[in-house]
Amino acid sequence: MNAPVTPESRALLEGKDLTMRFGGLVAMAEVDFSLRKGEVLGIIGPNGAGKSTLLNIITGLYVPSSGEVRLEGELLNGQPAHRIVAKGIARTFQSSRLFADLSVLDNVIIGRHTHMKTGIFDAIFNRRKAEAELDAAAELAERLLKAVSRELHAQRHRPAGELPQADRRRLEIARALASEPKVLLLDEPSSGMDDSDTDALMDDIRSVCAERPELALMIIEHDMRLIASLPQRVLVLDYGQKLAEGTYEEVRLIPRVQEAYLGRKGAQHAQA
Amino acid sequence: MTEQLLQQILNWITLGSIYALIAVGFSLLFGVLNIIHFSHGDVALMAPFLALALVQTFATAIGAAASPGVMLLAVALAIALTGLLGVLLDFVVIQRFRNAPAMMALVATVALGIVLRDLIRHLFPNGSNPHAVPRLVQGSVDMLGVTVPAFNLVAIAVSGLCVSGLFYLLGSTRLGLHIKAVSQDRDAARLLSIAPGRIFRITFFIASAVGAIGGLFFAGYAGIVRFDFSVDVGLIGFSAAVVGGLGSMPGAIIGSLVIAGLDTLVQAVVPNGAAYRLVFVFLLVIGVLVFRPAGLFGRTVVEKV
Amino acid sequence: MTDMTIPARATLGTAGGLALVALTEIAGAAFLRQFLLVDDWRAVVGLLALFAGALVAMQRLPVIEANIEQAFGANRRFAMLFGTAIVLAFPFVLQNSSYALHLLIIAQLYAVLALALNFQLGSANIPNFATGASYGIGAYASALLALNWDVSFWLALPASAVVATIFGFLLGIPSMRTRDSYLALVTIAFGVVVHQLLNNLEFTGGPNGLVGIPAPELFGHSFASPLVIFGHSLPSQANFYYLSALLVGVSILFAGRLHHSRIGLAWNALRADELAARCQGINATWYKVLAFAVDAFLAGFAGTIYAFYVGFISPDNFTFLVSVTIMTMVIAGGMDNTLGVIVGAFLLTLLPEKLRAFSDYRILFFGITVIAFLMIRPQGIFPQRLRRYGG
Repeated sequence: MNAPVTPESRALLEGKDLTMRFGGLVAMAEVDFSLRKGEVLGIIGPNGAGKSTLLNIITGLYVPSSGEVRLEGELLNGQPAHRIVAKGIARTFQSSRLFADLSVLDNVIIGRHTHMKTGIFDAIFNRRKAEAELDAAAELAERLLKAVSRELHAQRHRPAGELPQADRRRLEIARALASEPKVLLLDEPSSGMDDSDTDALMDDIRSVCAERPELALMIIEHDMRLIASLPQRVLVLDYGQKLAEGTYEEVRLIPRVQEAYLGRKGAQHAQA
Repeated sequence: MTEQLLQQILNWITLGSIYALIAVGFSLLFGVLNIIHFSHGDVALMAPFLALALVQTFATAIGAAASPGVMLLAVALAIALTGLLGVLLDFVVIQRFRNAPAMMALVATVALGIVLRDLIRHLFPNGSNPHAVPRLVQGSVDMLGVTVPAFNLVAIAVSGLCVSGLFYLLGSTRLGLHIKAVSQDRDAARLLSIAPGRIFRITFFIASAVGAIGGLFFAGYAGIVRFDFSVDVGLIGFSAAVVGGLGSMPGAIIGSLVIAGLDTLVQAVVPNGAAYRLVFVFLLVIGVLVFRPAGLFGRTVVEKV
Repeated sequence: MTDMTIPARATLGTAGGLALVALTEIAGAAFLRQFLLVDDWRAVVGLLALFAGALVAMQRLPVIEANIEQAFGANRRFAMLFGTAIVLAFPFVLQNSSYALHLLIIAQLYAVLALALNFQLGSANIPNFATGASYGIGAYASALLALNWDVSFWLALPASAVVATIFGFLLGIPSMRTRDSYLALVTIAFGVVVHQLLNNLEFTGGPNGLVGIPAPELFGHSFASPLVIFGHSLPSQANFYYLSALLVGVSILFAGRLHHSRIGLAWNALRADELAARCQGINATWYKVLAFAVDAFLAGFAGTIYAFYVGFISPDNFTFLVSVTIMTMVIAGGMDNTLGVIVGAFLLTLLPEKLRAFSDYRILFFGITVIAFLMIRPQGIFPQRLRRYGG
């Protein structure tokens, strides 16, 4: 690994002037962001503000119309999604997209895909090697599952589709961590969870970060409790534009932010 | 030379019109139900067999050769029955796969096509053999120095009428509005008290009946029909819809004309071209899919994440 | 979806396990033997009922299934050796019936084709209606090599598999940009194009096909002559029986190794959710093309053996309907389950042959079978199983 001069000074992941147009619709306009090693960045904004678009651009699912994304200085745009994972960016999905008919363990092992090397000829003619690699991945996956949640580990031989909602989210995080990412992107990890599940999730995320001090996190969230306590910095998006950026305490005081987001969402949250 | 050219152009437009009648069905069903009804061609080519059987039945009943009026009645009945057949297939099989993975509906409808073909083979008298199909419209017209069979003109006119009718129906009627609503968002349509099930049935009826007209013209144009003609017809109709852009009605028509044009051109220019026509058509389809996956007029759909 | 019965605890010791493995394999072989030799349609129906009964019993009493599974898992080497012995000995108990051997060869070739398609349809959820075309490409490539350049069977076999694989790659290329129905159209179109070309090109013999493909020879023994083992003479079909059995063995090996590797996992991931798979670092395009290539490779082998077995091939041996037949076998047997796929291939090859009255309706039967399975039991006779790790 070629370490940057001073880890604090340089951004691990940064986006510049990111713009995304679908036909005539501008989903994102000139958004900048940066993320340092070990940092947790929260992204908030009303529905349709462009939060998921941002994640999809970073992970290579969308190619931005203009602007650039760089990981450790290397340009990412235009690279296919599977290569971006290999470079160290992993994600979860808002509507958890697990491999439902595969076991929990298989889901995590697939998360290690980029760290395995077995090709078609190895698989067929060099069984010992292929099996050793897979067994090692399985062992690692077991450890990872155990670390994320003992309950989940106990269910490792069940099909992922049978898990309850909270465990699905955990499994998605475990699967993403299996690729040993430098940056982990969480897309509304608490959606569909009640308060106690969300508390548990926050603890899980904290322990994940504690074990991996270098890991940078980007969390899209609606749940203000989570946003208030986890991220060091919050980025507010509205209508595809960056509205504000700063600590939660700073951001929540900006009137336009309150109007655009906290007012509406806060009210909703109070009801929930 | 010009005469020949005009003749070829006429063939092209006729063939394109007939293909269009089948292609719009693919596009309509895809637009509304979001499935590829792979047996649509087989449904369409059920019509000529039904018409032949009906003519035979009527002739036996009245004890004389069928008059043009009787034949017209048989044709009309065949179109209606084919429309109902589409509804029936949806009711018995296809609707079970509404929420299933796309691949299941796909394989099921391919199998359905096989079943339909084999039913004709077993149930229709001499079902394995080709059957002569008389043209309802005889005679010819002289146009621009070319002798044009009236049949071609009728085929083009009827196809034009059907397609305009469809455009009118979808664009300017209440039913069309409901169909559009269901195709865009089933659940939202349900909230507006539009029953998607009913709309699906109507769509299947329309697509199958229009397809039936195409099937009848196809059989009349070829002068003969056999149980397995529907493989090619279905593939060509689907290809036309794909080339034009699935879900787009104008696309289906343009696609049909493009494919019919290539078909006619190959038969006219390439030696022994008739044997290779499908090869060329499919190379075009593969090319379009590779370079413009959404077709000429389709919109690229971005998967929601 | 996979059945999630909590595995009942196995109750057998080592000796019991070995006995159970042997018993299961013998029972399977005995059943197949009866099925091959039986003539009366009532007896066929009876055997089918027996088969269905056994399946239902396994479903009702998971303990039986768990014990069998456990026994096979614990005694894999023995199961393999004993199974091989049964396969080797099988022709000797067929009362020298060349017809039974012929059926076995065809069933085994279809088993290979079904296993080939299973990589796509079962593992990766890619609809491929062109396996029959790859089968044909293999057959024609080897036959042309043998007829025009006197290439021996043993050289033509790998050569034609390579040719089929190249075509498989080409067919796979559109899968980079297209999915589901579009891809299905491409594969159907490919099948039709291949059929039309074979039917019309001069060097493939047009609709008459190719005749006089010479029988293979091995150490001076012609595959066209009876096979004499230990003074016991078997019909000449036995040569091809052993050859195709070997190919089935190789295919099972392929299937097992690919399934239990990163590649099988990647295919399964694509099947479940392509987008999520890409976000785990899986190169969707490559793995899809790979599935096409593996399918074509095995189908090419099967095609070569077929061509040299019957000695005469024509385009009509490799139509769209052949592809659909193969697909029926995979779906009915059980997608992504090797045993299921093989059982599906044997059942659907033998049934129309055994129920003569029925054989005219074979196509109709296949069509209805597919639809019925998709509607009633989409997981097939033998559903896919979850992987197990660490022995």
